Parts: sequence; C-alpha cells; structure tokens
Amino acid sequence: MTSEHETGPSVLIVEDDDATRSALRRDLVARGFRVDDVRDGHGALLRWEARRPDVVLIDLGLPDMDGTRIIGRIRREATTPILVISARDGEATKVEALELGADDYITKPFGTAELHARLRAVLRRAGGAAADAGGRVAVGPLVLDALRHDVTVNGTRVDLTPREFEVLRVLLAHPGRLVTRGRLLRAVWGEAYRSEDHYVHVYVSQVRRKLAAADPAGALRRLIVTEPGVGYRVGGE
Amino acid sequence: MRSDALKAWAVLAVEVGAAVLLATGVVALLEARLGVPNASNVYLVAVAAIAIRHGVAGASLTAIVAVLVYDFFFTEPYFTLTVSDPDEWLHLILLLFVAVTVGQLAALQRSRAESALAREHESRALFDVTRTLATRTSTFEALPAIAAALAREASMRQVWFSLGTDDADERVAGQSSTGAVPMPARGYAVLHRDASGGAAAWTYVRGPAFGRGSASASQPASERHVRVRMEQAGRPIGSLWAAHGARDGLPDAPTTTLLRVAADLVAQALAHDRVEEETRRAEIAQQSDALKSALLESVSHDLRTPLASIRASAGTLMDPDLALDPDEVRASASSIDREAQRLNRLVGNLLDLGRIEAGVLRVAEDALDLEDVISGAISLVEGRAGLRRIEVVGDEGAVLGDPILLEEALVNLLDNAIRHTPEGSAIRISTASADRSAERPVHVRLSVEDSGPGVPDEALPRIFDRFFRAGGGRRPTGTGTGIGLAVVRGFVEAMGGHVVARRSALGGLAIDVDLRAAEIPATVDAAT
Repeated sequence: MTSEHETGPSVLIVEDDDATRSALRRDLVARGFRVDDVRDGHGALLRWEARRPDVVLIDLGLPDMDGTRIIGRIRREATTPILVISARDGEATKVEALELGADDYITKPFGTAELHARLRAVLRRAGGAAADAGGRVAVGPLVLDALRHDVTVNGTRVDLTPREFEVLRVLLAHPGRLVTRGRLLRAVWGEAYRSEDHYVHVYVSQVRRKLAAADPAGALRRLIVTEPGVGYRVGGE
Repeated sequence: MRSDALKAWAVLAVEVGAAVLLATGVVALLEARLGVPNASNVYLVAVAAIAIRHGVAGASLTAIVAVLVYDFFFTEPYFTLTVSDPDEWLHLILLLFVAVTVGQLAALQRSRAESALAREHESRALFDVTRTLATRTSTFEALPAIAAALAREASMRQVWFSLGTDDADERVAGQSSTGAVPMPARGYAVLHRDASGGAAAWTYVRGPAFGRGSASASQPASERHVRVRMEQAGRPIGSLWAAHGARDGLPDAPTTTLLRVAADLVAQALAHDRVEEETRRAEIAQQSDALKSALLESVSHDLRTPLASIRASAGTLMDPDLALDPDEVRASASSIDREAQRLNRLVGNLLDLGRIEAGVLRVAEDALDLEDVISGAISLVEGRAGLRRIEVVGDEGAVLGDPILLEEALVNLLDNAIRHTPEGSAIRISTASADRSAERPVHVRLSVEDSGPGVPDEALPRIFDRFFRAGGGRRPTGTGTGIGLAVVRGFVEAMGGHVVARRSALGGLAIDVDLRAAEIPATVDAAT
C-alpha cells in the first residue's frame, strides 16, 4: 500500500507488531513519507525487490526470519539506508546488525520525534558524498583536510595526534551513521588493534575535548555522540 | 624386613663385642698391672650400658659373653671355658640380675618417653584439628588442612576424607597432600567401635574399597590403608582414610585414638554446617517471601499510577464530545508520552534488578572517559530536570567500567536527585581522585548531590536496599519505586566499584560512587 503523497522519500516498514506498525505508518505518512509496510521477513524481501524504497525501517525480531538476514541481503545489492528498531538490552544484536551494514538503530520504546530525526540523518547521508574530491570534509565550522592532514575549526588549526586525526577522519566519513566500536577499531588500527581496544573511548574523548576547546560557541557539541556499548553516532551537520 | 632384623642383630653384636672388649681391657689393666685380685665387676658397667641401649635381651647376652670371656682369660685354669669356681657362678648370676633390672628400667623409661612423645603428637594434632574447625568458614574447605595435620602428627603417608552416604558414592573431599589419592585395591583395615564409640579395634576388610577420588592411583605394594567411618545420628556420612607404610603395622593405640577423635570432630562439624545451611536457607526463603510481597505492593502501585494517567489523557483525546484546542491536545499527548517513559524506566529498572539478582549481568571492562559518560547521562535526563540546574564539577579522567551499566547507574542517580530536588535548585555531579587505600587502590570518586530534604542519618546505610524509601512507607506522590538505587549499587559493585550515601553540603543527599581508575598507557596518549 502506498500513500498518496508522491513527493516525499519512500520508506519500507518491517514490523510484526500491528499496533506499532500502524502507529509508525500514521506518523510517517503525516510527515510526508511514502509508506509501505509489511509484517514479516518474507514480505519484506518481496517488497524490497518490487519497490526499492529510499529507506528501510526494520524490526529485528520477525516471526519468520532473523532481521539480520534481510539486512545482509539488502546490503549485497544496494546502499539503501537501513534503520534498525531494536529491543532494550539487545546490544549484541544491535552491533551485529550495524556491522552487517545497518546505518543506525533506535530502541523501543521510542518517540516519533527521535525516529524522524534518525530517518532524516540517514537519508541525508545517502544524499551526497561525505568528502569532496580533494578529501575535504566540512561539518559546520569544522573542516578536515585529509590530504594536508589538518583540521580547523572556524579557521583555527586544531592540533591532533596522527591517531586522533585518523579517528576523526573515519568518524566524519560516516555522517548520519552509527559507527560501531569494532568498525572504528578496524579502520584506524587495522587488525592489530587488540592491545588498545579498551582505550577507544579515551581517544574519542580526547578528540572531542580538543574540538570543544576550539569551538567556544558549542556548535560541535553534538558532533560525536557516544552510544554506550555500541559505538559513535556522527552528526550530519 | 629380614635385612632390617639382620642389621639390628649385627649392630647389637658389634656393640656387645665392643663393650665386652673394652671392659676386658680395663679388667686386664687392673688385674695384671695394678694387682687388683678380682676386677670382674667392671663388666657390670658394660652390661648396664648395653641394657640402657638394647634392653634385657642384649644385656643378658652381654652378661653371658662377659662371664665366658672372664672365665677364659682371667680364671684358672686359664684359656678354658670351664666354670668350676662357685664364685664364677655367683658372678654370672649377679651380672644377669643387673642386666635384667637395668634393661627393664631402661625399657620402661624409653617407653615412657615414647608415649609422652605420642601424646604430644596426639594433642598437637587434635589442637590443630579443633583450631582449624573453629576458624573455618566451611568444614569442607577445612578438610585438607585437617588431613595434613593428621598426616604430620600421626606419621601417615597420606590422610584423606571422603564424603558420601555409602561406599559406592564416597568422594574424596580433602586430602593431606596434592597428587593422586591411592585406591585401597587389595583391602584395608577398618576401625570397629563398641556401642559407646569408645573402645575400638581394627578389622581387616579384603577387596577393593569403593571410595573414589578425583584422581585415584593404584595402591603401592608398600602401602596399607586404614579407614575410620564418620557417622551422623547413626547414618554414615563418609570416612577418614589414612595410608601408612606396610612395615609400620596397624596404628598404635594413641594414633588410633587420634584418628577416631578427629573423625568424630569432623563428623560433628559437618553436621553443624548442615544445620547452619538449613537455617540460612530458611532465612533466605523468608526474606524472599517478604521481598516478593514488597515487590508486588510497590510495583502494582507504581505501574498503575502512570497507566491511570495515560488512560485519562487518552480518554480526553478520544472523546468526540470534547472540543480541545491544539494546546490541550498537545498537553494530553505529552502527558501520555511522559508517563509512558516513566513506565519504561520502571520496567527497565525491574529487569535490571532481575538480572543483578539472577547473576546474569555481563560486565564489559573498558576505559571510560567520565566527562563523556556524564554528558551522556545528562542528555538522557535533562528532559525531566525541568528548572533544576545540573552542575558538573571536576575533570577526573578515565575509569574502568561498563559503558552501559555506568550510564544507567548515573541516570538512576540523577533521576533520584531530580525527584528530591525542588525546581530551581541545584544538582551537582562532581568527580575527584580519591585517596589510594589498601582495600581500594587507585579509584575515582563520582558524586551526585542534591539540595532536597535529604535522608536521616540512621537511614543512610539502607537507601540502597530494595524497596527502601526515604521517609519510610509510601510517599503520597508515588514517585520512585525504591529500586533505582538498588540497581545503582548492583551495577557499581558489578564493575568492581563501591557506593556510599552521606549528607550533602548542598543540604540533601550525596551519593559517592567509587570506581577503579583506568590507567591510560603512555603509548595511548602519545598516539603516534
């Protein structure tokens, strides 16, 4: 079923609970999405084949198959943003889903305002490349120049160690997404990360502190948000 | 065994020979050079000396040899063994009398010394056993120490306890030395007692014992086993086993008494443990019943309150007869949202408490930046903080902990502070490096203080108990379930930390959370 709004982005909702599904549907229709919804994994795969939505909202606990299978299948074919709806205490499942290619997650029970913010963020990420051809990333007052290995906030140079620079570069390469700790470790340290994996939080905090010192206005305060036990969410702007 | 006896005889022969030779030399000196008419009494010294060392038999032998030698060399006719003179007979009888008397006295003395030593061993062993039992936390854990004391004092190769209600299910529970417990394969001696448990005798039982060890070795040929059964109210509960060398023979009376008394003491201690355990279980069951009713009372109230307000707001929104303006609609909807969040937190805390009590909490150990954890927790509660100010003081680096548990603990502390702080007042989060102490090495103290009414001093230690509420009983507002702080303590302790409550300088309650400090290696800071 497709709503009459033909202008907004299309979203596929995969959720087995009828009450939750219809509430999500009402909310997203009201916010201008074109909404398609299914209640099981089989239906989700068929609908994905037929419609190729702009974004997929998926509950991992489906009656007929594990939601992570659907994520894996979609990721093999497309970079369509995937937002996972997860239950509380399911950190391991969340991390698994994110490592399989999901972009972000939202924990039940959630407010629709929060859901909408997450959807906007993942859609924006899908809209354009993070870095320009010269390897420059700009987020608000922050500019990271990968070629010159240099970071500025409001034009002032921020002095980062090579490893801190690398952490920031990897995080900024995924705006609007949730970067799991494991993914960050592998990207920055390679496979030899084992000895330092307890200190990732510390590196990220150092980066955050240095950026905050160069940003008295607090424009970058929510740039890197820690999701305890999962990873880091990178603000899109 | 034979070679040992031979060796003993050889030693005796050499010593008798030496003693007689020496005495003969002295006799010869006295009679030939100094003209003493009869110096045969010198042999008394030799006989007495051998009597002290070897007892009656050796001394008698010495006496006979001495008389023969004296007869041979010093009496006429010389160099013959004829004992013709009645003097010679008298002399021989005198020497034999001295040999028997001194030999018996010496033997008595020796056996007294031996039994004193045995008594000393026995009392020392029993002292060790009773002291070990008196200071034990559980008898089971004390068994190896008791077995070791018995093995040492009773000169046993190995002593072990095996517990079980019959031979087939006896299992080794404590042994004097590590290494495999031997399997009494061919048979063993078991102690039989009379009805009063007093007088006892060893009876040999043929065939293998069924008692099994965690690792049993077969019985070495040179080893024999004895067994003292332990009983409790007439029912078998296990045995004390000991291995001794085959040559040592069955344990003597003092050793038997020692083993018997030790077995009885251990049986008593085990019985005592069992009673204590039963009492403890009964207490836990009782507490758990009380807890369940407290839980039901608390939860049924705290679940229903937000549900009531959700239904009331939803009813307002649904009623077609009500003409609501958009502000009223929004107010009802946000009330539903707020109460649903409250329910969610309550359910979350209940689940957490369940996980803590079931012992299934999985705790990660990461180096966490406190500033990061604090700002995360604040962002989760600022929606309900209203006009209360949350101040953050201090900047104390990194702690070791689980990111999720620490954040939830802090959120609970902040929720608690928010509940008890009037709008417009302050809540303070502070961090400080706490003193290094013996029990708690380097740690960081995270404190949450509120400016609410506080908690009476006598109630402070109890605020982390489940279902405890300041002020006692249910407060009319119905906020707070009395489980938030129990969850805080459960989480913090799971991370190896410690929580205490005190009176805050702000006027209200202060809760100090001590966490292990994370030592960041220099390589991480340098990050080249």
